[in-house]
Amino acid sequence: MTKVKYPQKRNYRQRAHSNPLSDHSFEYPLTPEVMDWTKLYPRFKPENEVKFCDIGCGYGGLLVTLSPMFPDTYMVGFEIRVKVSDYVNDRFLALRQDNEVYHNAGVIRTNAMKYLPNFFRKGQLEKMFILYPDPHFKKCKHKWRIVSEGLLAEYAYVLKVGGLVYTVSDVKEVHDWMVEHFTNFPLFERYDPSAEDKAAQVLIGSTEEGKKVLRNKGQSWTAIFRRVEDPYQVN
Amino acid sequence: MSVLHFDKHTNSFLLGVAGNLYQLCENRAKLLVKCGEVPDPGEKGEPVKKGEKAPRAEGPAYITGVATCGGCVAVISNNKVVETFDGDFQRVASTVAIKRPTSVQVTDKNVVISDKAGDAYSYNTDLTDRKYLLGHVSVVMDMVLSPDLQFLVTCDRDEKIRISHFPNCYNIHSYLLGHQEYVLKVLLLSPNLLVSVGGDQKVILWDLGTRKPLQTLNSPQDDYITVSYTEPYLLACNTRHVTVYKLTDNTLAQTSQLVTDHDIVDIATSDAHVALLTREPKLELYQFSGGVLSGKIEVEGEIDLSQCKDSALPEKKKVVRTAGFAEYFERKRKRIEEENLKEESKQAHLKG
Repeated sequence: MTKVKYPQKRNYRQRAHSNPLSDHSFEYPLTPEVMDWTKLYPRFKPENEVKFCDIGCGYGGLLVTLSPMFPDTYMVGFEIRVKVSDYVNDRFLALRQDNEVYHNAGVIRTNAMKYLPNFFRKGQLEKMFILYPDPHFKKCKHKWRIVSEGLLAEYAYVLKVGGLVYTVSDVKEVHDWMVEHFTNFPLFERYDPSAEDKAAQVLIGSTEEGKKVLRNKGQSWTAIFRRVEDPYQVN
Repeated sequence: MSVLHFDKHTNSFLLGVAGNLYQLCENRAKLLVKCGEVPDPGEKGEPVKKGEKAPRAEGPAYITGVATCGGCVAVISNNKVVETFDGDFQRVASTVAIKRPTSVQVTDKNVVISDKAGDAYSYNTDLTDRKYLLGHVSVVMDMVLSPDLQFLVTCDRDEKIRISHFPNCYNIHSYLLGHQEYVLKVLLLSPNLLVSVGGDQKVILWDLGTRKPLQTLNSPQDDYITVSYTEPYLLACNTRHVTVYKLTDNTLAQTSQLVTDHDIVDIATSDAHVALLTREPKLELYQFSGGVLSGKIEVEGEIDLSQCKDSALPEKKKVVRTAGFAEYFERKRKRIEEENLKEESKQAHLKG
Protein backbone atom coordinates (compact mmCIF):
# COMPACT_ATOMS: atom_id res chain seq x y z
CA MET A 1 0.00 0.00 0.00
CA THR A 2 1.33 3.44 -0.88
CA LYS A 3 1.63 5.99 1.83
CA VAL A 4 -0.81 8.94 1.56
CA LYS A 5 1.01 12.08 0.48
CA TYR A 6 0.21 15.05 2.70
CA PRO A 7 0.59 18.56 1.36
CA GLN A 8 3.75 20.36 2.44
CA LYS A 9 3.08 23.79 3.90
CA ARG A 10 6.22 25.21 2.29
CA ASN A 11 4.57 24.83 -1.10
CA TYR A 12 1.55 26.90 -0.07
CA ARG A 13 3.08 29.90 1.69
CA GLN A 14 1.35 33.18 1.15
CA ARG A 15 1.55 36.67 2.58
CA ALA A 16 -0.55 36.88 5.74
CA HIS A 17 -2.69 39.83 4.69
CA SER A 18 -5.32 40.33 2.08
CA ASN A 19 -7.56 43.29 1.33
CA PRO A 20 -11.03 42.03 2.17
CA LEU A 21 -12.77 45.03 0.62
CA SER A 22 -11.35 44.76 -2.89
CA ASP A 23 -13.03 42.78 -5.64
CA HIS A 24 -11.37 39.40 -5.79
CA SER A 25 -12.75 36.75 -8.02
CA PHE A 26 -14.73 34.18 -6.10
CA GLU A 27 -17.17 31.48 -6.92
CA TYR A 28 -20.17 31.67 -4.68
CA PRO A 29 -23.79 30.56 -4.90
CA LEU A 30 -26.42 33.15 -5.72
CA THR A 31 -28.47 31.85 -2.78
CA PRO A 32 -27.87 29.22 -0.06
CA GLU A 33 -30.45 26.92 -1.71
CA VAL A 34 -28.36 26.50 -4.86
CA MET A 35 -25.09 25.81 -3.02
CA ASP A 36 -23.78 22.36 -3.90
CA TRP A 37 -22.06 21.12 -0.74
CA THR A 38 -21.52 17.63 -2.17
CA LYS A 39 -18.47 19.02 -3.95
CA LEU A 40 -16.99 19.64 -0.53
CA TYR A 41 -18.19 16.61 1.42
CA PRO A 42 -18.30 13.12 -0.13
CA ARG A 43 -21.18 11.91 2.07
CA PHE A 44 -23.28 15.09 2.15
CA LYS A 45 -27.03 14.40 1.78
CA PRO A 46 -29.69 16.94 0.78
CA GLU A 47 -31.09 16.91 4.32
CA ASN A 48 -27.67 17.78 5.82
CA GLU A 49 -26.62 21.32 6.65
CA VAL A 50 -23.30 22.90 7.49
CA LYS A 51 -23.42 23.98 11.13
CA PHE A 52 -19.92 25.26 11.97
CA CYS A 53 -18.00 27.95 10.14
CA ASP A 54 -14.39 28.90 10.80
CA ILE A 55 -13.97 32.45 9.51
CA GLY A 56 -10.43 32.86 8.20
CA CYS A 57 -9.50 29.23 8.86
CA GLY A 58 -5.87 29.69 7.77
CA TYR A 59 -4.11 26.33 7.46
CA GLY A 60 -7.14 24.50 8.87
CA GLY A 61 -5.75 23.30 12.20
CA LEU A 62 -8.94 23.94 14.13
CA LEU A 63 -11.11 22.05 11.63
CA VAL A 64 -8.72 19.08 11.69
CA THR A 65 -9.20 18.97 15.47
CA LEU A 66 -12.97 19.57 15.47
CA SER A 67 -13.79 17.14 12.65
CA PRO A 68 -13.36 13.91 14.69
CA MET A 69 -14.74 15.59 17.84
CA PHE A 70 -18.06 16.33 16.09
CA PRO A 71 -18.33 13.42 13.64
CA ASP A 72 -21.97 14.15 12.73
CA THR A 73 -21.54 17.86 12.14
CA TYR A 74 -20.61 19.39 8.82
CA MET A 75 -18.10 22.21 9.17
CA VAL A 76 -16.52 24.61 6.72
CA GLY A 77 -13.55 26.92 6.79
CA PHE A 78 -13.57 30.20 4.89
CA GLU A 79 -10.17 31.41 3.76
CA ILE A 80 -9.53 34.29 1.38
CA ARG A 81 -5.96 33.36 0.31
CA VAL A 82 -5.71 31.12 -2.75
CA LYS A 83 -2.70 29.03 -1.77
CA VAL A 84 -3.70 28.67 1.87
CA SER A 85 -7.22 27.49 1.05
CA ASP A 86 -5.76 25.15 -1.56
CA TYR A 87 -3.48 23.72 1.13
CA VAL A 88 -6.43 23.07 3.46
CA ASN A 89 -8.33 21.42 0.64
CA ASP A 90 -5.39 19.12 -0.20
CA ARG A 91 -4.95 18.47 3.50
CA PHE A 92 -8.50 17.17 3.92
CA LEU A 93 -8.28 15.10 0.74
CA ALA A 94 -5.14 13.44 2.13
CA LEU A 95 -6.57 13.02 5.64
CA ARG A 96 -9.68 11.32 4.24
CA GLN A 97 -7.57 8.79 2.39
CA ASP A 98 -6.10 7.74 5.72
CA ASN A 99 -9.25 8.09 7.81
CA GLU A 100 -12.80 8.66 6.66
CA VAL A 101 -13.63 10.44 9.88
CA TYR A 102 -12.52 13.65 8.15
CA HIS A 103 -15.41 13.47 5.66
CA ASN A 104 -17.28 16.28 7.43
CA ALA A 105 -14.78 19.13 7.09
CA GLY A 106 -13.91 21.23 4.08
CA VAL A 107 -12.71 24.64 2.95
CA ILE A 108 -14.00 27.32 0.59
CA ARG A 109 -11.92 30.14 -0.79
CA THR A 110 -14.18 33.09 -0.22
CA ASN A 111 -14.55 36.44 1.47
CA ALA A 112 -16.57 35.99 4.64
CA MET A 113 -17.17 39.74 4.82
CA LYS A 114 -19.11 39.68 1.59
CA TYR A 115 -20.65 36.29 0.99
CA LEU A 116 -21.93 34.80 4.26
CA PRO A 117 -25.62 35.23 3.30
CA ASN A 118 -24.92 33.54 -0.05
CA PHE A 119 -23.80 30.37 1.72
CA PHE A 120 -25.99 30.21 4.84
CA ARG A 121 -29.66 30.80 5.45
CA LYS A 122 -30.83 32.80 8.45
CA GLY A 123 -30.09 31.00 11.72
CA GLN A 124 -28.32 28.07 10.08
CA LEU A 125 -25.05 28.06 12.01
CA GLU A 126 -24.51 26.69 15.51
CA LYS A 127 -20.92 27.79 15.95
CA MET A 128 -18.64 30.35 14.37
CA PHE A 129 -14.93 30.67 14.99
CA ILE A 130 -12.87 33.82 14.61
CA LEU A 131 -9.39 32.78 15.70
CA TYR A 132 -6.31 34.97 15.42
CA PRO A 133 -7.86 37.42 12.95
CA ASP A 134 -5.62 39.77 11.00
CA PRO A 135 -5.11 42.61 13.52
CA HIS A 136 -5.03 45.53 11.02
CA PHE A 137 -3.40 47.87 13.54
CA LYS A 138 -3.63 51.12 11.63
CA LYS A 139 -6.75 53.09 12.40
CA CYS A 140 -7.48 53.61 8.72
CA LYS A 141 -7.51 49.82 8.30
CA HIS A 142 -9.93 49.17 11.17
CA LYS A 143 -12.74 48.82 8.66
CA TRP A 144 -10.84 45.79 7.30
CA ARG A 145 -11.19 44.03 10.64
CA ILE A 146 -13.39 40.94 10.62
CA VAL A 147 -15.24 42.21 13.67
CA SER A 148 -17.11 45.47 13.20
CA GLU A 149 -20.56 46.71 14.12
CA GLY A 150 -21.81 46.26 10.56
CA LEU A 151 -20.47 42.72 10.19
CA LEU A 152 -21.79 41.57 13.57
CA ALA A 153 -25.29 42.02 12.13
CA GLU A 154 -24.40 39.48 9.43
CA TYR A 155 -22.91 37.05 11.93
CA ALA A 156 -26.05 37.36 14.05
CA TYR A 157 -28.13 36.72 10.92
CA VAL A 158 -26.46 33.41 9.99
CA LEU A 159 -26.24 32.18 13.63
CA LYS A 160 -29.20 30.55 15.31
CA VAL A 161 -30.42 32.01 18.59
CA GLY A 162 -28.29 30.28 21.23
CA GLY A 163 -25.45 29.77 18.73
CA LEU A 164 -21.91 30.66 19.78
CA VAL A 165 -19.05 32.72 18.38
CA TYR A 166 -15.58 31.79 19.62
CA THR A 167 -12.89 34.45 19.34
CA VAL A 168 -9.18 34.24 20.12
CA SER A 169 -6.39 36.73 19.58
CA ASP A 170 -2.78 37.02 20.66
CA VAL A 171 -3.08 40.79 20.32
CA LYS A 172 -4.66 42.29 23.43
CA GLU A 173 -5.85 45.34 21.54
CA VAL A 174 -7.70 43.16 19.03
CA HIS A 175 -9.15 40.96 21.79
CA ASP A 176 -10.42 44.08 23.57
CA TRP A 177 -11.82 45.37 20.28
CA MET A 178 -13.74 42.15 19.70
CA VAL A 179 -15.06 42.00 23.27
CA GLU A 180 -16.16 45.62 23.11
CA HIS A 181 -17.96 45.19 19.79
CA PHE A 182 -19.68 41.92 20.68
CA THR A 183 -20.80 42.99 24.15
CA ASN A 184 -22.14 46.31 22.83
CA PHE A 185 -24.07 44.53 20.10
CA PRO A 186 -27.68 43.88 21.17
CA LEU A 187 -27.86 40.39 19.59
CA PHE A 188 -24.81 38.98 21.43
CA GLU A 189 -23.89 38.46 25.06
CA ARG A 190 -20.62 37.30 26.62
CA TYR A 191 -20.85 33.60 27.38
CA ASP A 192 -18.98 31.53 29.90
CA PRO A 193 -18.62 28.04 28.45
CA SER A 194 -19.53 25.09 30.59
CA ALA A 195 -17.08 22.24 31.10
CA GLU A 196 -18.97 20.24 28.47
CA ASP A 197 -18.15 22.73 25.74
CA LYS A 198 -15.61 20.62 23.91
CA ALA A 199 -14.87 23.22 21.27
CA ALA A 200 -13.84 25.84 23.82
CA GLN A 201 -11.08 23.60 25.12
CA VAL A 202 -9.24 23.15 21.85
CA LEU A 203 -9.27 26.70 20.51
CA ILE A 204 -5.69 27.65 21.25
CA GLY A 205 -3.85 24.33 21.01
CA SER A 206 -5.15 23.29 17.60
CA THR A 207 -4.55 26.19 15.25
CA GLU A 208 -1.22 26.89 13.60
CA GLU A 209 -1.29 30.47 14.90
CA GLY A 210 -2.09 29.28 18.41
CA LYS A 211 0.75 26.77 18.40
CA LYS A 212 3.13 29.47 17.23
CA VAL A 213 2.04 31.71 20.10
CA LEU A 214 2.53 28.82 22.57
CA ARG A 215 5.99 28.06 21.12
CA ASN A 216 6.99 31.67 21.53
CA LYS A 217 5.56 31.58 25.08
CA GLY A 218 3.12 34.33 24.13
CA GLN A 219 -0.38 34.83 25.42
CA SER A 220 -3.72 34.25 23.73
CA TRP A 221 -7.00 35.75 24.86
CA THR A 222 -10.27 33.90 24.35
CA ALA A 223 -13.82 35.24 24.45
CA ILE A 224 -17.07 33.48 23.61
CA PHE A 225 -20.37 35.12 22.76
CA ARG A 226 -23.90 33.82 22.47
CA ARG A 227 -26.51 34.90 19.95
CA VAL A 228 -29.57 36.10 21.85
CA GLU A 229 -33.08 37.15 20.82
CA ASP A 230 -33.49 40.78 19.81
CA PRO A 231 -34.21 42.68 23.04
CA TYR A 232 -35.81 45.54 21.07
CA GLN A 233 -39.29 46.55 22.21
CA VAL A 234 -41.53 49.13 20.68
CA ASN A 235 -42.26 51.82 23.23
CA MET B 1 -28.97 59.25 -7.07
CA SER B 2 -32.40 60.69 -7.18
CA VAL B 3 -32.62 64.34 -8.10
CA LEU B 4 -36.18 64.29 -9.40
CA HIS B 5 -38.80 63.65 -6.77
CA PHE B 6 -42.57 63.89 -6.65
CA ASP B 7 -43.75 65.48 -3.43
CA LYS B 8 -47.28 64.43 -2.50
CA HIS B 9 -47.62 67.11 0.15
CA THR B 10 -47.23 70.03 -2.28
CA ASN B 11 -48.41 68.01 -5.30
CA SER B 12 -45.34 69.14 -7.23
CA PHE B 13 -42.09 67.79 -8.62
CA LEU B 14 -38.86 68.75 -6.90
CA LEU B 15 -35.67 68.87 -8.91
CA GLY B 16 -32.12 69.27 -7.69
CA VAL B 17 -29.65 70.71 -10.19
CA ALA B 18 -26.18 71.56 -8.97
CA GLY B 19 -26.87 73.31 -5.65
CA ASN B 20 -30.34 74.54 -6.62
CA LEU B 21 -33.61 72.98 -5.56
CA TYR B 22 -36.41 73.75 -8.01
CA GLN B 23 -40.11 73.14 -7.79
CA LEU B 24 -42.26 72.29 -10.77
CA CYS B 25 -45.91 73.29 -10.11
CA GLU B 26 -48.12 72.45 -13.07
CA ASN B 27 -45.68 73.45 -15.79
CA ARG B 28 -44.01 76.36 -13.98
CA ALA B 29 -40.55 75.88 -12.59
CA LYS B 30 -39.25 78.11 -9.83
CA LEU B 31 -36.12 78.17 -7.74
CA LEU B 32 -36.99 77.22 -4.17
CA VAL B 33 -33.74 77.36 -2.31
CA LYS B 34 -29.98 77.00 -2.63
CA CYS B 35 -28.74 73.84 -0.99
CA GLY B 36 -25.45 72.41 0.16
CA GLU B 37 -24.25 75.51 1.94
CA VAL B 38 -21.80 74.49 4.60
CA PRO B 39 -23.28 74.95 8.06
CA ASP B 40 -21.64 77.29 10.52
CA PRO B 41 -19.12 75.08 12.35
CA GLY B 42 -19.41 77.08 15.57
CA GLU B 43 -23.08 76.58 16.20
CA LYS B 44 -24.10 72.95 16.16
CA GLY B 45 -23.15 70.06 13.96
CA GLU B 46 -21.52 66.77 14.68
CA PRO B 47 -20.45 66.15 18.24
CA VAL B 48 -16.75 65.53 17.78
CA LYS B 49 -14.89 62.98 19.88
CA LYS B 50 -11.57 63.98 21.31
CA GLY B 51 -8.75 63.38 18.86
CA GLU B 52 -11.10 63.10 15.91
CA LYS B 53 -11.54 65.63 13.18
CA ALA B 54 -14.96 67.08 12.51
CA PRO B 55 -16.26 65.96 9.12
CA ARG B 56 -15.62 68.61 6.51
CA ALA B 57 -17.69 69.54 3.50
CA GLU B 58 -15.77 69.01 0.27
CA GLY B 59 -16.17 70.64 -3.11
CA PRO B 60 -19.09 72.58 -4.56
CA ALA B 61 -22.61 71.58 -3.59
CA TYR B 62 -24.35 69.22 -5.94
CA ILE B 63 -27.69 67.77 -4.89
CA THR B 64 -27.71 63.97 -5.04
CA GLY B 65 -30.91 63.15 -3.20
CA VAL B 66 -34.25 64.67 -2.22
CA ALA B 67 -36.83 63.05 0.06
CA THR B 68 -40.08 64.33 1.50
CA CYS B 69 -42.58 63.26 4.12
CA GLY B 70 -45.56 65.40 4.94
CA GLY B 71 -44.16 68.88 5.31
CA CYS B 72 -40.61 67.74 5.93
CA VAL B 73 -37.99 67.87 3.18
CA ALA B 74 -34.48 66.41 3.36
CA VAL B 75 -31.75 67.08 0.82
CA ILE B 76 -28.28 65.56 0.52
CA SER B 77 -25.41 66.96 -1.53
CA ASN B 78 -22.19 65.39 -2.73
CA ASN B 79 -20.19 67.84 -0.62
CA LYS B 80 -21.52 65.85 2.38
CA VAL B 81 -24.05 68.48 3.50
CA VAL B 82 -27.38 67.11 4.79
CA GLU B 83 -30.22 69.60 5.16
CA THR B 84 -33.84 69.65 6.27
CA PHE B 85 -36.54 72.13 5.26
CA ASP B 86 -40.09 72.72 6.42
CA GLY B 87 -43.23 72.70 4.24
CA ASP B 88 -42.50 76.27 3.08
CA PHE B 89 -38.94 75.24 2.17
CA GLN B 90 -37.42 77.25 4.96
CA ARG B 91 -34.21 75.65 6.19
CA VAL B 92 -34.68 73.88 9.52
CA ALA B 93 -31.21 72.49 10.03
CA SER B 94 -28.06 71.40 8.24
CA THR B 95 -25.07 69.29 9.11
CA VAL B 96 -22.09 67.60 7.47
CA ALA B 97 -22.19 63.81 7.15
CA ILE B 98 -19.17 61.64 8.00
CA LYS B 99 -18.92 60.24 4.47
CA ARG B 100 -20.45 61.28 1.18
CA PRO B 101 -24.17 60.49 1.41
CA THR B 102 -25.66 58.31 -1.32
CA SER B 103 -29.38 58.29 -0.53
CA VAL B 104 -31.84 59.84 1.88
CA GLN B 105 -35.19 58.96 3.43
CA VAL B 106 -37.25 61.08 5.75
CA THR B 107 -40.08 60.46 8.21
CA ASP B 108 -41.81 62.95 10.48
CA LYS B 109 -39.27 62.07 13.19
CA ASN B 110 -36.07 60.99 11.41
CA VAL B 111 -33.76 61.64 8.53
CA VAL B 112 -32.00 58.47 7.38
CA ILE B 113 -28.96 58.64 5.13
CA SER B 114 -26.76 55.98 3.59
CA ASP B 115 -23.19 56.68 2.57
CA LYS B 116 -20.30 55.78 0.32
CA ALA B 117 -18.61 53.78 3.09
CA GLY B 118 -21.62 51.43 3.23
CA ASP B 119 -23.12 52.74 6.46
CA ALA B 120 -26.55 54.12 7.25
CA TYR B 121 -27.32 56.64 9.95
CA SER B 122 -30.46 58.10 11.40
CA TYR B 123 -30.74 61.71 12.56
CA ASN B 124 -33.54 63.51 14.31
CA THR B 125 -35.11 66.15 12.04
CA ASP B 126 -33.05 69.00 13.51
CA LEU B 127 -29.96 66.92 12.68
CA THR B 128 -28.36 67.22 16.10
CA ASP B 129 -28.40 63.57 17.14
CA ARG B 130 -26.83 60.92 14.92
CA LYS B 131 -27.33 57.17 15.38
CA TYR B 132 -25.52 54.38 13.55
CA LEU B 133 -28.01 52.01 11.94
CA LEU B 134 -26.16 49.45 9.84
CA GLY B 135 -23.12 48.82 7.69
CA HIS B 136 -22.48 47.08 4.39
CA VAL B 137 -18.94 46.35 3.20
CA SER B 138 -19.51 48.24 -0.03
CA VAL B 139 -21.29 51.43 -1.10
CA VAL B 140 -24.98 51.55 -0.20
CA MET B 141 -26.45 52.77 -3.48
CA ASP B 142 -30.06 53.24 -2.43
CA MET B 143 -32.49 52.53 0.36
CA VAL B 144 -36.17 52.70 1.16
CA LEU B 145 -38.09 52.77 4.42
CA SER B 146 -41.33 50.81 4.52
CA PRO B 147 -44.35 53.12 4.97
CA ASP B 148 -45.14 51.50 8.35
CA LEU B 149 -41.51 52.27 9.40
CA GLN B 150 -40.93 48.65 10.41
CA PHE B 151 -38.22 47.91 7.86
CA LEU B 152 -35.30 49.57 6.12
CA VAL B 153 -34.29 48.12 2.76
CA THR B 154 -30.72 48.87 1.63
CA CYS B 155 -28.96 47.78 -1.55
CA ASP B 156 -25.25 47.76 -2.26
CA ARG B 157 -22.57 47.52 -4.92
CA ASP B 158 -22.07 43.84 -4.03
CA GLU B 159 -25.33 42.55 -5.52
CA LYS B 160 -27.16 42.50 -2.21
CA ILE B 161 -30.49 43.80 -1.04
CA ARG B 162 -30.76 43.71 2.74
CA ILE B 163 -33.97 44.08 4.72
CA SER B 164 -33.34 45.21 8.29
CA HIS B 165 -35.78 45.78 11.10
CA PHE B 166 -36.21 49.49 11.83
CA PRO B 167 -35.02 51.25 13.93
CA ASN B 168 -33.28 48.17 15.36
CA CYS B 169 -31.35 47.72 12.12
CA TYR B 170 -28.71 45.52 13.76
CA ASN B 171 -31.34 42.79 13.40
CA ILE B 172 -31.34 41.69 9.77
CA HIS B 173 -34.73 40.42 8.66
CA SER B 174 -33.63 38.89 5.35
CA TYR B 175 -31.72 39.27 2.10
CA LEU B 176 -33.02 39.39 -1.45
CA LEU B 177 -30.39 37.60 -3.53
CA GLY B 178 -30.71 37.45 -7.29
CA HIS B 179 -28.80 40.31 -8.89
CA GLN B 180 -25.38 39.61 -10.35
CA GLU B 181 -24.09 43.15 -10.39
CA TYR B 182 -24.51 46.28 -8.25
CA VAL B 183 -28.05 47.11 -7.16
CA LEU B 184 -28.78 50.70 -8.09
CA LYS B 185 -32.25 51.29 -6.76
CA VAL B 186 -34.94 49.73 -4.59
CA LEU B 187 -38.60 50.72 -4.57
CA LEU B 188 -41.53 49.39 -2.53
CA LEU B 189 -44.73 48.95 -4.54
CA SER B 190 -46.86 47.50 -1.74
CA PRO B 191 -46.21 45.87 1.65
CA ASN B 192 -45.43 42.62 -0.17
CA LEU B 193 -43.80 43.80 -3.41
CA LEU B 194 -40.43 45.37 -4.07
CA VAL B 195 -38.71 46.33 -7.30
CA SER B 196 -34.94 46.53 -7.69
CA VAL B 197 -32.74 47.83 -10.51
CA GLY B 198 -29.45 46.05 -11.07
CA GLY B 199 -26.31 46.74 -13.07
CA ASP B 200 -26.87 43.29 -14.56
CA GLN B 201 -29.44 44.87 -16.92
CA LYS B 202 -32.27 43.48 -14.86
CA VAL B 203 -35.24 44.87 -13.02
CA ILE B 204 -36.54 42.31 -10.53
CA LEU B 205 -40.00 42.25 -8.98
CA TRP B 206 -39.71 40.54 -5.57
CA ASP B 207 -42.25 38.79 -3.39
CA LEU B 208 -41.30 39.94 0.10
CA GLY B 209 -43.12 37.00 1.66
CA THR B 210 -41.11 34.29 -0.07
CA ARG B 211 -38.12 36.60 -0.81
CA LYS B 212 -38.03 35.16 -4.32
CA PRO B 213 -38.21 36.96 -7.66
CA LEU B 214 -41.71 36.98 -9.13
CA GLN B 215 -40.66 38.45 -12.43
CA THR B 216 -37.49 39.72 -14.07
CA LEU B 217 -37.40 42.41 -16.75
CA ASN B 218 -34.39 42.15 -19.04
CA SER B 219 -32.82 44.96 -21.00
CA PRO B 220 -30.37 43.11 -23.21
CA GLN B 221 -29.07 46.24 -24.97
CA ASP B 222 -28.18 48.55 -22.13
CA ASP B 223 -28.40 49.17 -18.41
CA TYR B 224 -31.52 50.16 -16.58
CA ILE B 225 -31.11 53.61 -15.12
CA THR B 226 -34.01 53.90 -12.70
CA VAL B 227 -37.64 53.02 -12.04
CA SER B 228 -40.62 54.99 -10.79
CA TYR B 229 -44.02 53.83 -9.60
CA THR B 230 -47.45 55.38 -9.56
CA GLU B 231 -50.11 52.86 -8.73
CA PRO B 232 -50.60 50.61 -10.72
CA TYR B 233 -47.92 51.62 -13.24
CA LEU B 234 -44.20 50.95 -13.09
CA LEU B 235 -41.99 53.06 -15.35
CA ALA B 236 -38.63 51.44 -16.07
CA CYS B 237 -35.96 53.57 -17.77
CA ASN B 238 -32.97 52.38 -19.67
CA THR B 239 -30.71 54.74 -21.57
CA ARG B 240 -33.28 56.04 -24.04
CA HIS B 241 -36.51 54.22 -23.29
CA VAL B 242 -39.25 54.69 -20.76
CA THR B 243 -41.22 51.46 -20.66
CA VAL B 244 -44.50 51.48 -18.79
CA TYR B 245 -45.80 48.30 -17.13
CA LYS B 246 -49.12 47.77 -15.46
CA LEU B 247 -49.10 45.77 -12.25
CA THR B 248 -51.98 43.31 -11.99
CA ASP B 249 -52.01 40.25 -9.72
CA ASN B 250 -48.28 40.55 -8.95
CA THR B 251 -47.42 40.59 -12.64
CA LEU B 252 -46.06 43.40 -14.77
CA ALA B 253 -47.40 43.70 -18.31
CA GLN B 254 -46.10 46.29 -20.74
CA THR B 255 -48.60 48.99 -21.71
CA SER B 256 -46.47 51.47 -23.64
CA GLN B 257 -42.99 52.67 -24.43
CA LEU B 258 -41.52 56.09 -25.08
CA VAL B 259 -38.26 56.60 -26.93
CA THR B 260 -36.41 59.72 -25.81
CA ASP B 261 -34.08 61.90 -27.88
CA HIS B 262 -31.46 62.06 -25.15
CA ASP B 263 -30.06 59.79 -22.45
CA ILE B 264 -32.21 59.64 -19.33
CA VAL B 265 -30.82 60.84 -16.01
CA ASP B 266 -33.84 60.54 -13.73
CA ILE B 267 -37.61 60.19 -13.72
CA ALA B 268 -40.46 60.97 -11.32
CA THR B 269 -44.16 60.33 -11.61
CA SER B 270 -47.39 61.70 -10.16
CA ASP B 271 -50.76 60.14 -10.98
CA ALA B 272 -51.21 62.50 -13.93
CA HIS B 273 -47.71 63.56 -14.99
CA VAL B 274 -44.25 62.22 -15.67
CA ALA B 275 -41.16 64.41 -15.30
CA LEU B 276 -38.06 63.31 -17.11
CA LEU B 277 -34.55 64.73 -16.80
CA THR B 278 -32.27 63.95 -19.73
CA ARG B 279 -28.60 64.47 -20.37
CA GLU B 280 -29.13 67.23 -22.97
CA PRO B 281 -29.71 68.57 -20.27
CA LYS B 282 -33.42 69.00 -20.57
CA LEU B 283 -36.42 68.72 -18.29
CA GLU B 284 -39.43 67.20 -20.01
CA LEU B 285 -42.93 66.97 -18.69
CA TYR B 286 -45.54 64.55 -20.06
CA GLN B 287 -49.19 63.93 -19.40
CA PHE B 288 -49.69 60.43 -18.11
CA SER B 289 -52.94 58.50 -18.24
CA GLY B 290 -53.99 54.92 -18.81
CA GLY B 291 -50.37 53.78 -18.74
CA VAL B 292 -49.36 55.99 -21.68
CA LEU B 293 -47.10 59.02 -21.77
CA SER B 294 -48.62 61.61 -24.05
CA GLY B 295 -48.82 65.33 -24.64
CA LYS B 296 -45.46 66.84 -23.90
CA ILE B 297 -45.96 70.00 -21.85
CA GLU B 298 -43.64 73.00 -22.22
CA VAL B 299 -41.90 73.79 -18.96
CA GLU B 300 -41.88 77.52 -18.23
CA GLY B 301 -39.93 79.60 -15.81
CA GLU B 302 -36.34 80.22 -14.92
CA ILE B 303 -34.46 76.98 -14.63
CA ASP B 304 -30.73 76.63 -15.16
CA LEU B 305 -29.87 73.11 -16.21
CA SER B 306 -26.38 73.93 -17.50
CA GLN B 307 -24.78 72.61 -14.31
CA CYS B 308 -26.65 69.34 -14.55
CA LYS B 309 -24.20 66.46 -14.52
CA ASP B 310 -24.09 62.79 -13.80
CA SER B 311 -24.08 61.01 -10.51
CA ALA B 312 -21.12 61.64 -8.27
CA LEU B 313 -21.24 58.05 -7.06
CA PRO B 314 -17.98 56.12 -7.15
CA GLU B 315 -17.22 53.47 -9.69
CA LYS B 316 -20.08 51.00 -9.79
CA LYS B 317 -19.02 47.97 -11.75
CA LYS B 318 -16.54 45.64 -10.17
CA VAL B 319 -12.99 45.38 -11.33
CA VAL B 320 -12.30 41.78 -10.49
CA ARG B 321 -8.74 40.73 -9.89
CA THR B 322 -7.95 37.21 -10.98
CA ALA B 323 -4.25 37.67 -11.76
CA GLY B 324 -2.03 34.99 -10.28
CA PHE B 325 -4.55 32.16 -9.79
CA ALA B 326 -3.96 30.37 -13.06
CA GLU B 327 -0.21 30.76 -12.69
CA TYR B 328 -0.32 29.35 -9.19
CA PHE B 329 -2.25 26.25 -10.20
CA GLU B 330 0.00 25.78 -13.24
CA ARG B 331 3.12 25.96 -11.04
CA LYS B 332 1.49 23.52 -8.64
CA ARG B 333 0.72 21.06 -11.44
CA LYS B 334 4.34 21.19 -12.62
CA ARG B 335 5.65 20.75 -9.09
CA ILE B 336 3.52 17.66 -8.53
CA GLU B 337 4.58 16.24 -11.91
CA GLU B 338 8.23 16.74 -11.00
CA GLU B 339 7.73 15.17 -7.59
CA ASN B 340 6.05 12.15 -9.18
CA LEU B 341 8.89 11.79 -11.69
CA LYS B 342 11.46 11.95 -8.92
CA GLU B 343 9.51 9.35 -6.99
CA GLU B 344 9.38 7.06 -9.99
CA SER B 345 13.08 7.31 -10.72
CA LYS B 346 13.79 6.68 -7.05
CA GLN B 347 11.63 3.54 -7.15
CA ALA B 348 13.30 2.42 -10.38
CA HIS B 349 16.69 3.04 -8.80
CA LEU B 350 15.79 0.96 -5.74
CA LYS B 351 14.50 -1.90 -7.85
CA GLY B 352 17.47 -1.73 -10.24
